[in-house]
Amino acid sequence: MSENPEHTLAAKSAKQVNDELLSSMRPPTWKWYGLAFFLGAVVAWGIAAFTYQVMTDMSVTGLDRPVMWGIYIANFVFWVGLSHSGTMVSAILRLSQANWRRPILRAAEAMTVFSITVAGLFPIIHLGRNWVVYYFIPYPNQRELWPNFRSPLLWDATAITTYIIGSSLFLYLGMLPDLAVVRDRSTGWRKKIYAVLAMGWRGTAREWVVFRQASTLMAALIIPVAVSVHSIVAWDFAVTLVPGWHSTIFPPYFVIGAITSGVAAVITLMIIIRRAFHLEEYLTPQHFDNMGKLLLVICLLWAYAYFVEVQTTWYAHHPIEWEVWSFMADKYTLLLILMLIGNAILPIAGLCFKRIRRSVRAMLVITVLVNVGMFIERYLIIVPPLSHKNMPFLWGTYSPSWVELSVTAAAFSGFTLMYVLFSKFFPLVAVTDVRELAVRHTDVRLGRAEIHSITGEE
Amino acid sequence: METLGTFKNVETAARAVENLIRAGFAEREITSLTSAPYPDGVIVKTDQRTWFRWISLTGAIFGALAGFALAAGTAYLYPVQTGHKSIIALYPTGIITYELFMLFAILGAIVGMFMEMKLPPWREGVYDPAIGEGAIGISVSTTRDHLNRAEKIMQDAGALRITSEETHGTGDRQ
Repeated sequence: MSENPEHTLAAKSAKQVNDELLSSMRPPTWKWYGLAFFLGAVVAWGIAAFTYQVMTDMSVTGLDRPVMWGIYIANFVFWVGLSHSGTMVSAILRLSQANWRRPILRAAEAMTVFSITVAGLFPIIHLGRNWVVYYFIPYPNQRELWPNFRSPLLWDATAITTYIIGSSLFLYLGMLPDLAVVRDRSTGWRKKIYAVLAMGWRGTAREWVVFRQASTLMAALIIPVAVSVHSIVAWDFAVTLVPGWHSTIFPPYFVIGAITSGVAAVITLMIIIRRAFHLEEYLTPQHFDNMGKLLLVICLLWAYAYFVEVQTTWYAHHPIEWEVWSFMADKYTLLLILMLIGNAILPIAGLCFKRIRRSVRAMLVITVLVNVGMFIERYLIIVPPLSHKNMPFLWGTYSPSWVELSVTAAAFSGFTLMYVLFSKFFPLVAVTDVRELAVRHTDVRLGRAEIHSITGEE
Repeated sequence: METLGTFKNVETAARAVENLIRAGFAEREITSLTSAPYPDGVIVKTDQRTWFRWISLTGAIFGALAGFALAAGTAYLYPVQTGHKSIIALYPTGIITYELFMLFAILGAIVGMFMEMKLPPWREGVYDPAIGEGAIGISVSTTRDHLNRAEKIMQDAGALRITSEETHGTGDRQ
């Protein structure tokens, strides 16, 4: 098997490549139905738990003074973070014209859309009194109730709405030529739906020119939105006076953490997609090697940011700041160690070695542990500082209730279910992007060797 | 009138384009239909200039103004007094202005892109589903008088089949 997909592509007809890359869209098997049913059942359980919370009140959660933000907000920060990297990785690789990006793009962009959708639900789930959620919206009313436009909730709502719309359009834009391919291969009602989605795309030379420039512009626009979303989430914490949160490093630290978890999740998804749809010839060890290097750099940055945060607290030894840190290290020792292993020690030590970066199994273990570590990190950012704030008579602890854990399980299942459904209706790999490699690939004779070459995009 | 020749590979398609130009057809009358993008000039030459970015910029300016009006305007018209804090506060006004600025820039880019591509089309052009499977389409838009000549040139260059507006209609894409 060749390391470079362009060699594989050169040996295959366009129809064969289409067949292989669109294999996820074949009629569902019993295994697929079984998985969808299981994930649907977990989501239903989570909805039932949330309904119970709405029907009773927030006392069914573990939230109580002083910890009024718990696992729901940890989920929110985690899912926003996860959403971060999909679109961002895709956009950066597009702008840098990295050819190896092509088989990865779609998985990354879809991940962003699904994770930001899940993230957007958590502030609403966390609110309590969900039936008056429309109080957010400025609407004329006789009670003269007007939303406080200075509330951080509004920052989040605006940023997340922008990011959901932006990343959905970015995903759709990338899929446009692929939808035309799917339209041409479909029959019956599917053909009608794909015809509408493809918007009459024919692939004229002019359409490709505009499409390419629009993709570049969208990539350039989506990166600052992605950075702003997580910075705004970080400001939710940093602009408060809670010890442990009130820190200037929070926005960049959050952005780095988000990219860490996003890159790791993209690699995990690549491994699953590769295995499930037999895409070994397209997602080669070279892709894992490159993504592994990216993850290594980001983990180093994360470790540096975490070290800077902790050492400043330690050196200043401000009583309440140090109290929060000591409380976390004492009460949550196991979680803290797991987080450091998952986010720093294991990936940094492992990903330095090419053999590990190119091993699919090792990469699966590392990337899953990175995200386990990242979820723990979100939890540790939120709970310990709230448990030990400035007033010792108000110190307390928090444990999530079964309702909160059920909703969390439903979030993970819901994300996976969206991905499973997406794989049946849309191409999971960017078909035309991958096939463009074959168009641009040529072998050039140079001296005694035949050099493999790809024509540049500009 | 439009006619479409379907070619098996890029070499025969490029030969057809060269013959068409040699026969007096203008470059702007000819376009390629492909399911993967080819570098400019490999099959046809296309104008690389685009204007959709102006729509994006217009959207961005509109978004910034709308965001500022929404955040600062609502706070000003319906003041919620909290201690000595300002009614029109920097953080929310800045954040909402920025986010709507970016949102409308993105929406403008997408809308502008479709406008410039002229998609969805009012009148559907000729198409061959084989293009999705790697075939190359060469479309010639010309007067009825020259249509037959264009079709003959493409056939001679090795077109697998010729589809014209009259014979084909647009059914394949619906």
